[in-house]
Amino acid sequence: MADRTVNVITICGSLRKGSYNRIVMNALPGLAPEGMQIKEAPPFSEFPLYNADIQNATGFPAPVQTLANAIRAADGVIFVTPEYNFGIPGPLKNAIDWVSRVPNQPFAGKPIALQSASPGPLGGGRVQYDLRRSMVFLDAFTLNKPEIFIGNCAQRLDDKTGKITDEQTIGFIRQQLAAFANFIAAHGPKG
Amino acid sequence: MSDNQLNVLVVCGSLRQNSYNAALARTLPSLAPPGLALKAGPPWHTMPIYNHDIPDVPAEAVAWADAIRGADGVIIVSPEYNWSIPGGLKNAIDWVSRMKDVPFKEKPVAIQSCATGVLGGARMQYHLRQSLTSIDAFLFGKPEVLVTFAAKKFDEKTLALTDQPTIDDVKQQLAAFEKFVRRLNGRK
Repeated sequence: MADRTVNVITICGSLRKGSYNRIVMNALPGLAPEGMQIKEAPPFSEFPLYNADIQNATGFPAPVQTLANAIRAADGVIFVTPEYNFGIPGPLKNAIDWVSRVPNQPFAGKPIALQSASPGPLGGGRVQYDLRRSMVFLDAFTLNKPEIFIGNCAQRLDDKTGKITDEQTIGFIRQQLAAFANFIAAHGPKG
Repeated sequence: MSDNQLNVLVVCGSLRQNSYNAALARTLPSLAPPGLALKAGPPWHTMPIYNHDIPDVPAEAVAWADAIRGADGVIIVSPEYNWSIPGGLKNAIDWVSRMKDVPFKEKPVAIQSCATGVLGGARMQYHLRQSLTSIDAFLFGKPEVLVTFAAKKFDEKTLALTDQPTIDDVKQQLAAFEKFVRRLNGRK
């Protein structure tokens, strides 16, 4: 297990192209510790709004299965999300709702890390605790610390170049990713 | 409909046909005091997935917002998905929160939930309060309506609400909600 590459996928909670959270997500592969590969998960933008009748009539839509399979195959998942109305963005929650219904639950036992960026001062201080709650229900293992709340993110990210400009933020992210690597080693499937 | 009757919009957070929450939502008019006229809100499931790059708020969201804005109060009846608000309902809230005139601002809102387990949708309710607080709604407090072990309280075939204590709780909440709305809207 020690020599194996750790494969982590990232899920961005915002769909807009210029999203601050997307900028953060895009930076992660370059900040990962050795032995960890990070890439973006398949999209949830085409998921229908969850309705159990769809599931029962025609099964899980193809994009749902694609995302579920990617989560199942990954060694860990990092959510990078904004906060909408003091909570989880509806589309992201909708994606979790669909995936939560798939048999052989992909989130069960899965190491999770959370990051959020916001132009406001709290940096997503509410959304992450709400997301933890859903992850507890799904029996995932969410990394406790370090936490990544990027507040006043307009000063720390450059949305023209799509880069994180604040060195302190970069440092914190590196720390969290390194901690996540250890966490995955401790919690992930053995062998 | 009398001049003094309040118009209350009922929003259901579940889409499936045999939903307990939908069944409860349909039952509300029969349990409401005469001062409340209840009607179902326009659909939210036709709204697209929220994306800030879409420049205009879609027509379905505008219609939903107009209905909320036009109502004296709103009752949201919703299941709990993954210990929180169903993503589809939250998606609708996210859309209308982006409007210049956010429909939930200072709007009296009551929350109800049915669940097959022991907490009756409580986790969803406290998250929903949180999100509605962010857009300045006036959240009704007590009595709460949390229908636990819902499968035992609705008729298996007709989905009629059969549990008398639940019926009584709902009646109490609706009566108290009427008082709450009148006090906030300054109407006697």
